[in-house]
Amino acid sequence: MQVHVSTFWTPKRGGTQREYEDAFWVGPDGTGAGDLQLDALTVAIADGASESLLARRWAQRLVTSFGTMPDATTGAAGFLAAYRTAAMGWDDEISAYLAERRARDSPIQWYEQPGLAKGAHSTVTALQFWGGQKDERARWAAAGLGDSCLFQVRDEGMLVSFPIADTAEFSYQPSLLPSRETEEDVVRRHICLRTGEWMAGDTFYLATDALAAWFLRSAAEDGRPWEPLRDLDTVDADSDFPDWVEERRDRLEMHDDDTTLIRIDAIRED
Amino acid sequence: MYSTEISRSNPTCFVFLIDQSASMQDNIGSGEGQRKCDVVADSLNRLLSELCIKCAKEEGVRNYFYVAVIGYGSNVGPALAGRLAGRELVPLSEIASTPARLEARVRKISDGAGGLADVEVKFPVWVDPIASGGTPMSQALTRAQSIVSAWLDEHPTCFPPVVLNLSDGESTDGDPTAAATALRELASTDGSTLLFNLHVSSDASPAVSFADGDDALPNQHAKLLFGFSSPLPEHMRTYAQQQGYKVSDRTRGFVFNSDLSSVVQFLDIGTRATDLR
Repeated sequence: MQVHVSTFWTPKRGGTQREYEDAFWVGPDGTGAGDLQLDALTVAIADGASESLLARRWAQRLVTSFGTMPDATTGAAGFLAAYRTAAMGWDDEISAYLAERRARDSPIQWYEQPGLAKGAHSTVTALQFWGGQKDERARWAAAGLGDSCLFQVRDEGMLVSFPIADTAEFSYQPSLLPSRETEEDVVRRHICLRTGEWMAGDTFYLATDALAAWFLRSAAEDGRPWEPLRDLDTVDADSDFPDWVEERRDRLEMHDDDTTLIRIDAIRED
Repeated sequence: MYSTEISRSNPTCFVFLIDQSASMQDNIGSGEGQRKCDVVADSLNRLLSELCIKCAKEEGVRNYFYVAVIGYGSNVGPALAGRLAGRELVPLSEIASTPARLEARVRKISDGAGGLADVEVKFPVWVDPIASGGTPMSQALTRAQSIVSAWLDEHPTCFPPVVLNLSDGESTDGDPTAAATALRELASTDGSTLLFNLHVSSDASPAVSFADGDDALPNQHAKLLFGFSSPLPEHMRTYAQQQGYKVSDRTRGFVFNSDLSSVVQFLDIGTRATDLR
């Protein structure tokens, strides 16, 4: 299978790059981008909650775990295993952070203690592709919890919107995976799973909530939100991603939030 | 309306008005011998603490809010203690880093085996209990009006300022309704200023949280404060409901001998860190 992968991100207005709390993973090692020729590919995206401490670290742990565990997208059991793997390392993550703070002679303040005790929260959505060689069916499987979304576009139409299909479902209270491991039955109730087929020429977009909400709203108004996203980083682009996002924030079309996009073009092999 | 996200690039202001009059020396009706001035100071310190914790990130507390604490009793003026004494509008990061002191308090938490265990927690204190002089509530509301008005001149598109009045309601400088109405008429592009009231009373009537009418309120002071409290905007009613409060579209930001710190959880600064249910 041959794909072209592009990643774009920008922090919320007034935030620095260090304060950006989304995370993404493009397999096999997390840093994949550009033209990739692979038997299978996993990509993942996560959005750490604004009200959490260490949200970016937790989002990063989630995408790493979901990006490297092959069954994470194929069923609830795989999803839960990937979650457990991420959560099991959380105490070590906290210990490392506390050691960093001690080394910087920057003790934990009273207002940080409740947040550290509570743990961090994040969405996650992961997508795996495989097949497409000769007579093999080209398949994908996605798993998500929360409001980071996947869109599949074919022939100027949206085939799939996952796990959210209606802009009314976006809120300040999406389902979030907690870094303090929680009961599996509770997590299981919130897991969304989807499978599908892909073909050369399809484009997949993974987006965190601000962009995903804009995408769905635009599509609902008979727009083609994929057009400007398809042009990003090409000679047809009017602006780079941060400027493009900023313009939409200025026009109040897009919520001011950390914003991330992964675009995967399934290449036609002419 | 009331939909603008509070952010560092578009912060809002929070003005606390704290009754420090002599009548605050009396005990609260529903408490175990607690003075009203102690209850009010404790409530305010807890509110400020909740606000700082909500906005805390690794690099410090973010300035989503600018906070003024105005006391009214012998005089009307800034009421923060310690190094912030005399300051009017203070960025939240400075509030967090500069409490007058940190007291050690004991909190009961689950011991994981069905029982409770005592743990020591740090409780920041910014305001001390004071009870002296009259209750110039109208003056205090007028002072809030000038703070909010100046804020709105500089931040016309912010989430509307929130003013929280903590009092026993026994105004001694006339009916404060006109001053309260003028304050509530100040507006950003996102809506009018929200004025909420925490009424602490010596009356032993049952506590009321987020009242939606004044029929059940026990005295004219409670009815007066309820009368000029802002209705809760729709999204705040939803959050109140999620926290177990009974609300209707007539519910106002008014509590009687009850806790008002949940108001902090009604404010949106981004994705909430809530556990799955």
